[in-house]
Amino acid sequence: MTEAAIQVGALAKEFGGLRAVDGVTLSVAAGERRALIGPNGAGKTTLFHCITGTLRPSSGTVRLFGREVTRLAESRRTALGMGRTFQISNVFTDLTALENLTLALLGTDRRKWIVHRPIGAFAHLRERALEGLERVGLADRADRAVRELSYGERRQLELALALNSNPRVLLLDEPCAGLAPLERQRISQMIATLPRAITLVMIEHDMDVALGLADRVTVLHRGRVILEGTPAEVQANPEVREVYFGHV
Amino acid sequence: MNRTRAAVILVALAAAAALPHVAGPFWMGLVTQMYIFGLLALSADLLLGHAGLFSLCHASFFAVAAYTTAILQVRYGVPTALAAPAGIAAGTALAAVFGASVRTRGVYFILITLALGYVVWGVAHRWSSFTGGDNGVTNVPFPRIGAVGIESHTQYYYLVLAVIVLCAFGYRVLVRSPFGLGLRGIKASESRMRSLGYRTGLHLYAAFVLSGALASLAGVLYVYYNRFVNPVAGSFPVSVEAVLMAIIGGTGTVVGPFLGAAVILGLRNWVSSFFELYAAVMGIVFVATVLWAPNGIMGLAARLRAARAARG
Repeated sequence: MTEAAIQVGALAKEFGGLRAVDGVTLSVAAGERRALIGPNGAGKTTLFHCITGTLRPSSGTVRLFGREVTRLAESRRTALGMGRTFQISNVFTDLTALENLTLALLGTDRRKWIVHRPIGAFAHLRERALEGLERVGLADRADRAVRELSYGERRQLELALALNSNPRVLLLDEPCAGLAPLERQRISQMIATLPRAITLVMIEHDMDVALGLADRVTVLHRGRVILEGTPAEVQANPEVREVYFGHV
Repeated sequence: MNRTRAAVILVALAAAAALPHVAGPFWMGLVTQMYIFGLLALSADLLLGHAGLFSLCHASFFAVAAYTTAILQVRYGVPTALAAPAGIAAGTALAAVFGASVRTRGVYFILITLALGYVVWGVAHRWSSFTGGDNGVTNVPFPRIGAVGIESHTQYYYLVLAVIVLCAFGYRVLVRSPFGLGLRGIKASESRMRSLGYRTGLHLYAAFVLSGALASLAGVLYVYYNRFVNPVAGSFPVSVEAVLMAIIGGTGTVVGPFLGAAVILGLRNWVSSFFELYAAVMGIVFVATVLWAPNGIMGLAARLRAARAARG
């Protein structure tokens, strides 16, 4: 049995009286691609926030490659190999695409503390940042301010930022949200060609994308896991059809 | 374009170097002040223009450094070689304490730094047995290190100019360094920076202390220029003006804070010679800046350049 990349144990998160995540236990094996689906308000994004450290869970545990990280700061989890994208593009709009990538590369690098040399002096860093942009097809946008990029390009950059922080586990929060079919295909293609060494956990509303990319699927509903299985099992399950597609 | 910029810098430096030969002591004094307060504005702008933090306590570091140097030099006869570094160290140490305010953001940060600034002013004002109260500390001599000493205001002008130029180049490297890029990243999106592995609180704290050190240096330059220091140096208006200078000149630039200092100090000298309510005039200038030139003089200049380029 391979070591679990992510283990979530009896995790709950309350906002006031609302239990957004209500006792979720799940385990994602290293190298696995897991889709997290469920209707709006199922607690998917909240669960993500608890795993990445953006939010502290009310109770329960989070383990990353066997190591307990429940109380660890988000930046420390990133250093341990956790990477994520955001549902609403969270990129540095005032900076250029190249600067965005450079920040991603420096995040887990001690050179981020250097004050006495301009960034231009790090030729190697620039090369790697350009490579990172190339990987998502944004090489020709390197010196453009991100605020001038299209919505679709920002989604590509969003993915590039997460990939270049050198993650072993990548949590993708609706990577294709709001994209036209063609762009959607492009992003899911990019995700599909990621090396298997990176464990993927992905929230996705588009069933075709989610089921096409995932090895296994976890279905959340009202903060609880109602089913976990292969894409085929999930598609065939009547309960899922009920909560996900409503009464037919 | 880069050649133009180099030419502008050279001309400005030549003009600055020539100034004592063509201008009288009044103008030389005004320009010296412009350098010193420009440096203070630059220090505040490391937080405002790069990290997005609006600090209202920079006069505190400025004043604590000035008082420390003045008290050591005047009351205890400590030589400049120790008194000046001690001033910078004291101001920086205060910044290391006040830096805890980076746990807050936005309006809370503004209010906390405002309150901290008032504490320092209050101490300078009320603890008169140590600080000299409203009279402050007087008779600060010109700086002297061993056999080498400043003998005149002209010599001091050149000393300040040299320090300012060094600081400006060092600052430029700092804001373009990985650390400086990190600050701009935090300003643009702190949540993303955290998820990329940055300890944003520590990053901002380091920037706060660096910024305080620069403000302290300005304070030491100030006390040797002014020859005395009183609670006004640590007062709220000085903190506000530092930030206003940066905004009027153009935040996030190196030259902007100095231009802003020139505008504010120049206007104050000119307007107050014939109009009592000069503060009202400054207010109008500030409102006009925010309305029509939100990126300050440097922003206006960039806009003019872009317009000219567009016309061909």
